[in-house]
Amino acid sequence: MATKSPNPASERPSTELRSTSDIPAEWLEEFEAAARRPLEQRMRYAFIHTYKPVLDDAPYRAFDTMEDYRRWCEENLPDWLGYGRI
Amino acid sequence: MGAFEYRQAQEIRDAFSRHACRCLFIGKSGAILLGFPDTTQDATLFVERSPENCRALVEALRELGFALSDDQAGDVLRGKDFVQLKNGPFDLDLVFAPDGIEHFEGAWRRRVEVEGFPVCHLDDIIASKTASNRQRDRESLPRLRAFREYWMSRR
Repeated sequence: MATKSPNPASERPSTELRSTSDIPAEWLEEFEAAARRPLEQRMRYAFIHTYKPVLDDAPYRAFDTMEDYRRWCEENLPDWLGYGRI
Repeated sequence: MGAFEYRQAQEIRDAFSRHACRCLFIGKSGAILLGFPDTTQDATLFVERSPENCRALVEALRELGFALSDDQAGDVLRGKDFVQLKNGPFDLDLVFAPDGIEHFEGAWRRRVEVEGFPVCHLDDIIASKTASNRQRDRESLPRLRAFREYWMSRR
């Protein structure tokens, strides 16, 4: 994974900390396998397209606020798509 | 509409660079660029909301083949928080105010570049998904946090 970051660690927001030893072995194997693949191949595996009802039925949507967008998702999309807030 | 491809990501990167448009891959598409092995459907870009950047964004999108009407371009220029495009060569979500990230400039400073692709730092991606608190995000966060530890250990 050839990455570079111009940013100091102190600027990053905090997130829940874990240790790599806490990572389930199956996930760790998947992370290692992905790291061995070139980006183009990783993307080929990662980006899929399946029809999402309602969401895919309009060529364009815009929302004034994220709150408007979240509410629209909750009111219009099937629950099983997972766009509703908890 | 087919799946988003590496070539299209390159086209975004190059078009946005030509137009000096500042944006960052965010969400699961950003995590995937950083090496996270998972699946997603759309690319999502966190775009800097300034008048000149929004003008550059409209030009870049039209160059990429998105059929933006003048009204739709106006939405972008006026700075809607969220724009969903399915009227181009691939599906693209534009977010100008992602949940959990205070401002673009901080995210830009923290960005990671992968083969020239500007990507939000994983901590920002996790912060955004945590703040949005959707079912789909809640389900993906444990694995994403585990990947964050793996990814940081390799940097």
